[in-house]
Amino acid sequence: MKQTISRRDFIKLGAASASAVVFGQMLSPRVAQAARDAGHVDANGDGYIPGMCEMCVWRCGLIAKVKDGRVVKLDGNPEHPHSRGNLCPRGQSGLMNTYDPDRVLSPLVRAGKRGEGLFRKASWDEALDIVAKNMLKIKAKYGAEAMVFSATHNLSQPLFENLLYAFGSPNYGTQRSLCFNAMIVSNLMTYGMEEPARIYDDKLNYILLTGRNLLEAISTSETHDLIMAIDRGAKVVYLDPRYTKTAAKATEWLPIKPGMDLAFHLALLHVIIGEKLYHEAFVTKNTVGFDELKKEVDRYTPQWAAPLTGIPAESISRIAHEFAAAAPHALAHNGWRTSNFINSFHTQRAIGILNALVGNWDVTITEAGGEESGTLGKPDQPPYPRVSALRLDGVPWKYPVVPFKIGVFQEMRDNIVKGDPYQAHGWFIARQNPIMSIPDRAKTLQAFGKMDFIVTMDILLNDTAWFSDVILPEASYLERYDPLVPIGNKIFLRQPMIEPQGEGKSALWIYKHLGERLGLGDYFQYTDEEDYLRQQLAPTGISLEELKAKGFVEVAESAHVGEGSEPIWNTPSGKIELYSDTLAKVGFSGIPTWVEPPQPASDQFYLLTGKVAQSTQTATQNNQLLHKYSDEPRLWMNAQTAAKLGFMTNDWVEVTSEVGKVHIRLLATEAIRPDCVYMTPGYGHLSKGLKTAFGIGASDSAVHVTYTDPISGGQALSQTFVTVKKA
Amino acid sequence: MTDIKHNAFLFDASRCIDCRACMVACSVENKIAMDKTRIWVAGVGIKGTYPDLQRGTMVYHCMHCEHPDCMSACPVGAYTKREDGPVTYNPDLCIGCRYCMNACPFGVPHFDYDKGLIDGAFIDKCTMCPQRIDNGQEPACVQTCPTDSLEFGEREELLKIAHARIAAHPDRYVNHVYGEFENGGTSYLILSHIPFSELGLPNLPEAPVNEVSEKVMELTIPFALGWGAVLTGVAAGVHMYNKKQEAKVVSEEKAEAGK
Repeated sequence: MKQTISRRDFIKLGAASASAVVFGQMLSPRVAQAARDAGHVDANGDGYIPGMCEMCVWRCGLIAKVKDGRVVKLDGNPEHPHSRGNLCPRGQSGLMNTYDPDRVLSPLVRAGKRGEGLFRKASWDEALDIVAKNMLKIKAKYGAEAMVFSATHNLSQPLFENLLYAFGSPNYGTQRSLCFNAMIVSNLMTYGMEEPARIYDDKLNYILLTGRNLLEAISTSETHDLIMAIDRGAKVVYLDPRYTKTAAKATEWLPIKPGMDLAFHLALLHVIIGEKLYHEAFVTKNTVGFDELKKEVDRYTPQWAAPLTGIPAESISRIAHEFAAAAPHALAHNGWRTSNFINSFHTQRAIGILNALVGNWDVTITEAGGEESGTLGKPDQPPYPRVSALRLDGVPWKYPVVPFKIGVFQEMRDNIVKGDPYQAHGWFIARQNPIMSIPDRAKTLQAFGKMDFIVTMDILLNDTAWFSDVILPEASYLERYDPLVPIGNKIFLRQPMIEPQGEGKSALWIYKHLGERLGLGDYFQYTDEEDYLRQQLAPTGISLEELKAKGFVEVAESAHVGEGSEPIWNTPSGKIELYSDTLAKVGFSGIPTWVEPPQPASDQFYLLTGKVAQSTQTATQNNQLLHKYSDEPRLWMNAQTAAKLGFMTNDWVEVTSEVGKVHIRLLATEAIRPDCVYMTPGYGHLSKGLKTAFGIGASDSAVHVTYTDPISGGQALSQTFVTVKKA
Repeated sequence: MTDIKHNAFLFDASRCIDCRACMVACSVENKIAMDKTRIWVAGVGIKGTYPDLQRGTMVYHCMHCEHPDCMSACPVGAYTKREDGPVTYNPDLCIGCRYCMNACPFGVPHFDYDKGLIDGAFIDKCTMCPQRIDNGQEPACVQTCPTDSLEFGEREELLKIAHARIAAHPDRYVNHVYGEFENGGTSYLILSHIPFSELGLPNLPEAPVNEVSEKVMELTIPFALGWGAVLTGVAAGVHMYNKKQEAKVVSEEKAEAGK
């Protein structure tokens, strides 16, 4: 067998990854020696090295098989609570990110016009000098606030924040307002925490999923938990205008009209309060504002909600009864983004309140262990300079309850275009692709046009890098160290398994060396990555060598708030706030209330987006393995509607919204409401530097219209209406 | 029987979410070319009319039959049924005749038209990852499955688990473990919430097809020898008859001449 594999391997390897072989390197003496010292690899450099995945934000633990200085296979780490030995298709494909033939192998400096894709190679010294010089020029001329910084949340975030706050800019862009602001802000208002943890124990027997497509938007351990709950016989009620893979496994699929989730949930509250199905003792003791809530939901009868949602009144009433009967072993899952409207904040509040009313705290939801651990140390640093400039994204002057670390990204973009309240001139972007992620792509490109200088840090020439002036190539997650992160009582390590392709460097290295050039060296007091980790580990008494050998260490878990005592919530009242005085004081409704969402005209469709298991946002479409096993991204349209309009599967159609149009092939399917169409997000790339992804599918951001929820700042991603005609 | 564990897969279609992690894992582990695959998703996909819909998918790869038809059909002995379960294939022996492709009732072995005579390795199929199971690991597809739709273990144990699952949820499952008896039993056992035919599986008799064919084929040599003997006998008889006839003609001619 061995013999046959070796010959076949040789041939297939050549066919599969010829380019990867060219770029691949033998294990360098440094990494090889480190791996040998840690006992991971033998004298030949072959063996298994633990690390951490970065194909999405769930961060599964993994074990890489290394042979001849190449990662040849990734498996889930059984010790890691997020992977439990499994990996999703993205995690399995992770090594093709590292060996992507389109990797940026050295710093690049723009040599043509923006968007032409002409770059020249530069040394790290030259590239960092150019970046520092431009940033300092902008700071001197317009003030530090004229530099905008944005990054997608990752393990090196504390150093990214050091860079931006030490530089003195208030303008911090994250991707969160494009995803789950409504959920986070509503939980902060209700429970005083961003997102309570969900408990899937053996007794959990009723799960209400509001647009939470957990079997396609995979979070490995939670997806596993849900399937096992279904396997045990738990009832799953699933609201979604599409028959997703989650709908297929749910006990009951309710194809709700988009934007009407709020009406459904208000009616549930009406039944549970009106028919006294709530947990009275829990509500009295642990909540405030029950009377105000009772008064408000009195008018939201199931009969009122039925025509809005398209769900019969009897079904709504029955589900309320079933949920209350199953409580406390019932879970109303916070939705995600399948149906995001300007009223989504109230929907999320209603879901949080439903859990509170039936008293399932510490049974199916509980306080989540934070990533900030008191057990780890960090290098000394001076305090940040005082910043008095307003934030461009309207936090808090327009969005008073949105946290600084969350922000309103699309508003930042709009105010860059408007130059209001001041003009931004530079943008530092770390592994993020705002051109593809912020709605109304044409407007984002306009914002780029306002910039004197744009620098992007990524492993690929993503669309944003394509329009940048300098590109700083990062080492991939199999090639670098990142700061440590505790999960429960374990601390996991991301460590290099191979040398970086080309001249890729870790974020820890890049931020330090850029910071020093900006005169901010005091905020980066570590000699190298390992020194940073040793300083983090210092208070624990654990050696870096021990951590490297095992991939994780166990430490004493920080005390769970309320454990063994009365639960305490970090809200102004110290209780779960059914009525929020904080919201009322800044002029919003203190209790969830009905906000009528706009509806499409008779010739328009709701444009839905939603995840597939084979891609993460805009970042993975160029991965050849994922590309191999992905479905072609087509525009889903209900089969009967398509027949009526004379469309057939694979017809090219033109999808038009008020901000743009795209061409895409059609998929006529029974699996979607007749008044909706659906697109897989993240396709339709502009960068010709993404040779696998370029030309595939169409961009949702090119047609998405910017609508912002006034309370949470969340982008109402399902509120774009489109017309469809033959292309 | 030896004391080697007889391995098998158990696939539960009611758990599969069609995420394709198994397909990627197999491709990486076995270094499959970007335009090839050893696993594919079979099944009806979405069936019904909005909003009354049903979905069924299946992870389809080699069934690792107890009596592999590919092995019976192979004229050069490139296939082996290992005692611990896997049906493996030796590309060095393969002559590219494609008899195995016609023989397999599941349509599993596939031909690589890109390869010439010199390259060899004409046929490809799942091998149950011997390089992993010999190393105490699960096959790549099983190890990664985020929903435990795919499990790996001793066939007898998996059969017990499968029957226990049917007993616990008789309303969910079709009351049958596909592969327990089909084609004489396979080492890929399947549980399903929809009819097996909708997962793309053939309806096969319990007796393996090759039980009949092999019995017939076993007669080849005796038959060849026997038929040869018969023909030799017939030929000898004819010869003798002819000789007799000749002698008769000669004697008659002589007699005639003597007249």
